[in-house]
Amino acid sequence: MARAITPGRKAVNTAIGAGIGILIFFPILWTFLTSFKSEATAIADPPVWFFFDWTFENYGAVQERSNYFRHFWNSVIISVGSTVLGLLIAVPAAWAMAFVPGKQTKNVLMWMLSTKMLPPVGVLVPLYLIFRDWGLLDTRTGLVIVLMLINLPIIIWMLYTYFKEIPGEILEAARMDGAGLQSEIIYVLTPMAVPGIASTLLLNIILAWNEAFWTLNLTASNAAPLTAFIASYSSPEGLFYAKLSAASTMAIAPILIMGWFSQKQLVRGLTFGAVK
Amino acid sequence: MATQHSRAAARFMIAPSVILLLAWMVVPLAMTLWFSFLRYNLLMPGDNPFVGFDNYSYFLTDPAFQAAIVNTLLLVVGVLIITVGGGIGLAVLLAQPMWGTGIIRIMVISPFFIMPTVSALVWKNMFMNPVNGLFAYGADLLGLQPFDFLTQAPLASIIGIVSWQWLPFATLILLTAMQSLDSDQMEAAEMDGASAFSRFFYITLPHLARAITVVILIQTIFLLSIFAEILVTTNGGPGVASTNLTYLVYAESLLRFDVGTGSAGGVVAIILANIVAIFLMRMIGKNLDA
Repeated sequence: MARAITPGRKAVNTAIGAGIGILIFFPILWTFLTSFKSEATAIADPPVWFFFDWTFENYGAVQERSNYFRHFWNSVIISVGSTVLGLLIAVPAAWAMAFVPGKQTKNVLMWMLSTKMLPPVGVLVPLYLIFRDWGLLDTRTGLVIVLMLINLPIIIWMLYTYFKEIPGEILEAARMDGAGLQSEIIYVLTPMAVPGIASTLLLNIILAWNEAFWTLNLTASNAAPLTAFIASYSSPEGLFYAKLSAASTMAIAPILIMGWFSQKQLVRGLTFGAVK
Repeated sequence: MATQHSRAAARFMIAPSVILLLAWMVVPLAMTLWFSFLRYNLLMPGDNPFVGFDNYSYFLTDPAFQAAIVNTLLLVVGVLIITVGGGIGLAVLLAQPMWGTGIIRIMVISPFFIMPTVSALVWKNMFMNPVNGLFAYGADLLGLQPFDFLTQAPLASIIGIVSWQWLPFATLILLTAMQSLDSDQMEAAEMDGASAFSRFFYITLPHLARAITVVILIQTIFLLSIFAEILVTTNGGPGVASTNLTYLVYAESLLRFDVGTGSAGGVVAIILANIVAIFLMRMIGKNLDA
């Protein structure tokens, strides 16, 4: 039984919670607001909060300066491409390990996880040279492959933990009713597996979108996704706060919204089932 | 019951993943190890003679390496203290009944979804800039001298930025763990007259212990590899004041094109990460049995 709590106590909780929440969220809010200011307003002293001439000119300027949408598109292709490719390879593996576990299944899973512990910088040099020699530097294909490989262990693990939750009795019941292997997969397992696959897809797109080691080191301009594009603002030219904010807002908005829907998957995906 | 037939099918389904990950792990790793014993600079073409442990002794005795190790540890430990401490506090707070839980949680979680280059540049320019940043404005209001964060305290500033990114992760994991806290037990303790203080230390904290360990281990793996935040804010400087091991290896290999030394550094980074990984793997492995 939960105890009744006084409205006064609840109000205090809410005030503290909201205060801290706004404080943590503030840099994002400030970036969003600044993206609609003119460059002069963006550095005004004292700072201007809500009441200024809202303008969209920064968004246009960012696109004009360096073809923003090409980088946005690169991010989409690289994050979605690597995740979908990873799923195609991981679904059968996770499926087999969850439904036909063998003596080695646990060891294989642990070994797969251990590849994720490898620090990227440990293989930076060989990968850079392989990419150079195979003409993969600054190509989207190269990044799709690398990001698929670094996220593959997470994808397999997430799928495995979801598939594990599908009760085996259902399969037996279907078999008793005379379902063959094919109809078993199509009519019984697939509908139950779809939510887990969707969650995995969502979290891994987020992770790939924000990946900033390989995307920075293996691209120059052609295949540069938003992580690398935004990094080009680290050497500023003149007044640029409003433009930086506009570029940042566009880069984070889609993934932030996806992230809000994936809080639960985040815990599962990044703790490998160690916290439930 | 699994049949002979389905076992064969299962192996066939697992094979692509295993082969890919095996290749991904073994090939570059073997190359790194091999390069680390060669004198190999991309700017000096010619044959790359075998030099034994020369690269290692060069890398390990380089003053920049010692600085980088210290910086790496400070960065990891600093961020862990802030995020785990703050995460425990926030998890306890957010587990209390309040209005608008959903929206408050969304605000607290958000920084985790911001790409590292964006958060680093936003903090660097719009907050920490000594002329136009909001912190400078705040200091001015208080009659203080503006402080040039990334020049005068580069590592501490980066610790701040990275902590902001990882606080949501710790909070979210610990909040998930809080939800399985037994409220009957809490209530009984309260009725027996246990103070809020002792309830926290004798019930809540032991309950969270496992989740805290997981948070520490997982974050350590990621924090050892912090790179983008350093690249776009300080470039490892001034000097090597904010160079961590990852950044140093990057600088050796892709800025100075010294493949041999960079590879030796990579091997050192792998050894360091493995020490943490062993503990993490043990915890996850135990859970798999349960």
